[in-house]
Amino acid sequence: MSAVIAPVRDEPIRLTREDVARADFYALIAHLLYSPDAQLLRSIAASDEIAAETANAPLTQAWHALVAAAEACEAEAVIEEYENLFIGVGRAEVMLFGSYYLAGFMMEKPLALLRDDLAQMGFARNEAVREPEDHLAALCDVMRHMVQGDENQEKPALEQQKQFFARHIQSWYPRFCDAVLESKSANFYKHVAHLIKVFFDIESESFEML
Amino acid sequence: MADRKSKLSRRNFLLAVGAGSAGAAAVMLAKRLPQAEPTAEAGDNAKGAGYHISEHIRNYYRTTEV
Repeated sequence: MSAVIAPVRDEPIRLTREDVARADFYALIAHLLYSPDAQLLRSIAASDEIAAETANAPLTQAWHALVAAAEACEAEAVIEEYENLFIGVGRAEVMLFGSYYLAGFMMEKPLALLRDDLAQMGFARNEAVREPEDHLAALCDVMRHMVQGDENQEKPALEQQKQFFARHIQSWYPRFCDAVLESKSANFYKHVAHLIKVFFDIESESFEML
Repeated sequence: MADRKSKLSRRNFLLAVGAGSAGAAAVMLAKRLPQAEPTAEAGDNAKGAGYHISEHIRNYYRTTEV
C-alpha cells in the first residue's frame, strides 16, 4: 500500500505503512460503531490480508474472526443487533459514550473537557449528527485524522495522538468492550469489540513507549 | 525494554483493511477550522519521538514480504 502524501508548505507528509493501517483501523471502527451497512460488511469480508509472521498473533486472530463474521452474518441482522445493543428503547444496553463510563452519566464533565479539546483542534460535528461528541465513533474520527496528519503539520503528531487517546479513550474502552462481549444481545459485535480491544491495547502500549 | 520490544515484534499488522476505509469521509466529526493555536513547536523532541516510535511499531506491525 502506498504512503499517503499531502502537501505541507513545500514538504510532503509521508506516512509509514503502519500509520496508514492505523488510520484504516480507526476509520473502520468508527464506521462499525456508527453506521453499519451491507457495503461495509462486504468490504470487510472481501478485504485483503497479508500473511502474518505469526498466524496466532492477537491482532491477526481478531481480524480473521471479524472477517469470518462479516462473511457469515446478514446485514439486516447486524443492523438490528447494533440497534438492540447501542440504541435500544429508552436506554441502550451498552453505552457508546465516554462520559457514561468516566462520570456515571452521559453529558457530563468528560464531555465538556472533550469539547474544549475539539474546539482547540478545530473539530466539529457533521451536519446530521445529533449524538454528543464523546461517542466512540467520533473519537475514532479524531484519532484517524491525527494519524493521517494534516497540512499544518510537518509530521503526524504522535504526542498529540497519545494525549488525546489517554484523555478521552484509554480509561474506558476496556469496560465498553467487555460490556459488549458479555452481552446476550451481541453476536457480530462481539468480534468488533474484540478487535477494538486488541487494537487499542496495541495503541496504548506503543504510546507508552514514546 | 528488550522484552517489550521482542514481545511487540511478534504482533502483526494487517494492511488493506476494508477497501480504503481511511479514504472515506469521517463518520461523526471532521476538521472544520484551522487549529485555534499553532501546533506545538514540532521540534527535535517530537521528531525524535516520532522516529523512535516508528521503529517499534514497524517491528511489531511487520508484514511478511512475499
